[in-house]
Amino acid sequence: MTPPKEPIKPEAMLDMLKRTMPFQVVSDALLRKLATLGWQVNYESGAVLYDVGDKADDIFIIVSGKVEHALEPGVHARRPVQILGAGDVFGWAALLNRYPSRLAKAVCTEATEIIRINGDELLRILESDPDSGDVVMSRFATMITRDYTVPDLIAQLRGIHRKMHSGDIQGMSLTLYRLTQWVKSPRPYLMLIGFVLFLGFWYLSVEVWKLPRFREMPGITVVITEWMSKDPVYGLSIYTPEYYKHIGMSVWRVTQAFFLATIIGVPFGLFLGWSRKFKEFVFPVFELLRPIPVLAWVPLAIVMFVSTESAVIYLTFLASFFATALNTMLGVESIDESYVRAANCLGASKWQVFRHVIVPGSLPFVFTGLQISVGVAWFSLVAAEMVSGQYGLGYVINTSYTMVRYPTIVIGMITLGAVGYITSAMVRVAGDFLMQWRVRELALGGR
Amino acid sequence: MMGAVQSRSASAGNRGAIKIDDVVKIYDPAGAAVMAVDHCNLDIDAGEICMIVGPSGCGKTTLLNAIAGFHEISSGSITLDGEVLCSTAKPKAEPGSDRIVVFQNGALFPWKTNLENVAFGPLMQGKASKAEITERALGMMADAGLGGVEHNYPGEVSSGVRRRVEIVRALMNDPKVLLLDEPYRALDSLTKSVMHEALLEIYYKNKVTIFFITHDLEEAIFLGHKVAIMTTRPCKPKKVLTVDIPHPRDYSVLTSKRFRELMQETSEAVHEEALKAFQAGEKEG
Amino acid sequence: MASRRFNPRSLLRGMFSILVFLVIWEIGSRSKHWLGADIFSPLRELIGMMGFKKTYLPWIGAVPAPTDVLHAWAGVIVDPGYWHSWYKSFSRVLAGFTAAMLVGIPFGLLLAVNRTAFGIGFPVFEMLRPIPPLAWVPASIIFWPTQELSIAFVTFLGAFYTIVINVVGGAKSIDVRYFQAAQSMGSSKWDIFRRIILPGTLPSIVIGSSVGMGITWEVVVAAEMISGGGSQIGGTGGGGLGFFIWNSYVGGSYEQIVVGMISIGIAGFISSELLRTLGKYVTPWLRLR
Repeated sequence: MTPPKEPIKPEAMLDMLKRTMPFQVVSDALLRKLATLGWQVNYESGAVLYDVGDKADDIFIIVSGKVEHALEPGVHARRPVQILGAGDVFGWAALLNRYPSRLAKAVCTEATEIIRINGDELLRILESDPDSGDVVMSRFATMITRDYTVPDLIAQLRGIHRKMHSGDIQGMSLTLYRLTQWVKSPRPYLMLIGFVLFLGFWYLSVEVWKLPRFREMPGITVVITEWMSKDPVYGLSIYTPEYYKHIGMSVWRVTQAFFLATIIGVPFGLFLGWSRKFKEFVFPVFELLRPIPVLAWVPLAIVMFVSTESAVIYLTFLASFFATALNTMLGVESIDESYVRAANCLGASKWQVFRHVIVPGSLPFVFTGLQISVGVAWFSLVAAEMVSGQYGLGYVINTSYTMVRYPTIVIGMITLGAVGYITSAMVRVAGDFLMQWRVRELALGGR
Repeated sequence: MMGAVQSRSASAGNRGAIKIDDVVKIYDPAGAAVMAVDHCNLDIDAGEICMIVGPSGCGKTTLLNAIAGFHEISSGSITLDGEVLCSTAKPKAEPGSDRIVVFQNGALFPWKTNLENVAFGPLMQGKASKAEITERALGMMADAGLGGVEHNYPGEVSSGVRRRVEIVRALMNDPKVLLLDEPYRALDSLTKSVMHEALLEIYYKNKVTIFFITHDLEEAIFLGHKVAIMTTRPCKPKKVLTVDIPHPRDYSVLTSKRFRELMQETSEAVHEEALKAFQAGEKEG
Repeated sequence: MASRRFNPRSLLRGMFSILVFLVIWEIGSRSKHWLGADIFSPLRELIGMMGFKKTYLPWIGAVPAPTDVLHAWAGVIVDPGYWHSWYKSFSRVLAGFTAAMLVGIPFGLLLAVNRTAFGIGFPVFEMLRPIPPLAWVPASIIFWPTQELSIAFVTFLGAFYTIVINVVGGAKSIDVRYFQAAQSMGSSKWDIFRRIILPGTLPSIVIGSSVGMGITWEVVVAAEMISGGGSQIGGTGGGGLGFFIWNSYVGGSYEQIVVGMISIGIAGFISSELLRTLGKYVTPWLRLR
């Protein structure tokens, strides 16, 4: 029967656990809790740890020695028989309620020291710390699917995985995990250095050293005090309503143009990519108009449109439209032929192929195009606002210059940058949401 | 596994017989006139596993594409159970769910879950209600040992699992013929061996005709009833071999005497063609 | 799916649509002349209901007709000022673009190759990138002593961002195995840079530069319009095709506006084609894909 248990010193246990997968990735606090669960047993050569059909209670970690692990036939495995050594972990069935009995026979081929941990208790502790527990379970899943192809096992693991996240969204947890990893890396500190260098240079060159060309520029302290002051010298700060009016105006214009461009551009692009006939007819005209810089349209737009507002939106729309349509078309054309062929084989009609293959298949490109489209929209909008129109951030920058309100120029620029970034990020997030399959594929590092 | 020894004729089904009759395929007849297929004749019995072996770029895929309906033929004819798929008069067959292709690099739709992929064919054809189709799909996936990955996306599972899902997706449509274009080429040999046994298991339950292109001679002899060794471009069968090892087979076959004899018989022929292809500098097909 | 077979049928179809486009344009812009006829009165009512003037078709009715544009163009071609504008715009584009390449490529490579540099430089870069180049115009004018330089700076910015992004992306995507192969054959770090990173990034540089070229044109035209005309920014000495367009607008000759637009389109197209040929020359191995 089983030799007597021996309690282990927690430090030794901690050390042991840290050397084995998947526990390497776990926090010390959690490891300490786990350490209290385990106990060490010494086996002689030839001792049978468990046989097929035995109750699966513990998982086993080898401290030293060798164990021969033979799976029962019927379990699909890469290597049905394995020799495990120091640092290896086995006996996973203890974690899975679908498999209350052992799937394999484990025999020591020499004198072996083993740490055993009770499966149920381990599960409970992992569930109490969902983030670490999740990481352990993911590693589990990876290790198991690498060695075995027992889908039920995998399903069970995923069931546990899902249970651990019954509260939160998987994506959120992934993000948090990534965030904590990011904070631990050198990256945020380098970033800080970069910003400090940049802002520091700005400060020093304008206000301290007063370098020749830099003297005239608005200094960083001036800009920031102006931006944050309740009673700004030039009338625009985060406390003035005009500020938000301008932002709102610009954002509203971009939104209109962007949506118009998307609603017209995406179907147009899809059709261009899908129907050769349509492309042969329409694309030449499209390509004829595309190289004309959007701003070259300004005077014509003013002539065509009665109100400056429409003209501005038209110009913004135009830029977005070209970007969206082109990228959508490229997206359709980039779809691997095999997908369309497969769909044809499977009996899909032309329309079904369009709906189930072309549209989802081109989404990645479409969203890249949409991000470009947003950027281009801001570009055109600013230019259009600078030339004509009232209100809006482009207008602010322009008039600030003419009215010699230099700090406000910078405020306008910074605001533009921030708003532009936010809108671009929104598009990206929308894309991630619609393309769940891609996010998950990328998160798993692709197999 | 499946018990009693069965002779080849007893295991054959009764549909899916393909007759490739004097097929010629010339690319770009007006310009460079490259002949890909040269008066190829091949008979495939119903329910037979026919392996097509040949060096890369020799035109085997062209044949498969012709049967599937993706490419035209220049002359000759291909019939399926007596019905003409394509001929000189009608050079391009209609793609259809009676001949389904499993592609080399896999063509599972990445934006649909495995289950949605498997159910795709019958859903598109509208032959039954969604609930019925889903039920059947779940059943077929479980049968193939794929229970548990139904709600994952293809990108989340291993390539071996993806292949199997693709085969199940094809079989959901009860095809007469499965056209496999080097489906296991990208897999490591360990996964491959598992795939072979999985394929055979599926075959024993479904008895479709299988038209399987490969350049792996061992794979060909292990799986096939019949092995057709093709010449380099332009391709035609150089040698057609009947593998008289009885089905059902398992991996012990690989070390059997008969297997090694067959390998010996054929490897010289294959090697000759491979050498020719190498000297001609064939690009990967 | 996207086979670029140059067959006569697609050429004909393309020409047909362009013709149709021109005809519609011609008819539409002449609407002042025919919309008044009695048969079109329901159409006039419809236009009126939508809130537009009833004397011509909305939007297109205000655009000068292609035949008039052609006429104006014939007049302008003999004017040396027109070609001077071409020259000015082209030289600005060239200057800004070259500067962007000269600064952007090394900068991008540095970011891609050195992790610390990337950690320090990229976040600042990404923070500045969303600010549209044109928003820099006033700041640029304040900073630089001459107007030419200020336009050049803004032009430079436009292309700079794109080129850097493409270089970084390209360098990062070079297959790790090339590095391993080089190292196993005993290459030094400099060698690896010169023979693997540089050529490996070239395709992305080529792509980045063609996109950057398009942006450069946009910015040049915009800057010319803004500083040479549009607002009170800048003084005299604008010049360039953007200025030409604005001037035509201010001067009331709308046909010339369209002439200017088309001219810029052609100029942009020429520069892209030149770049593309250069790119093919520099990356011959891609041709054989």
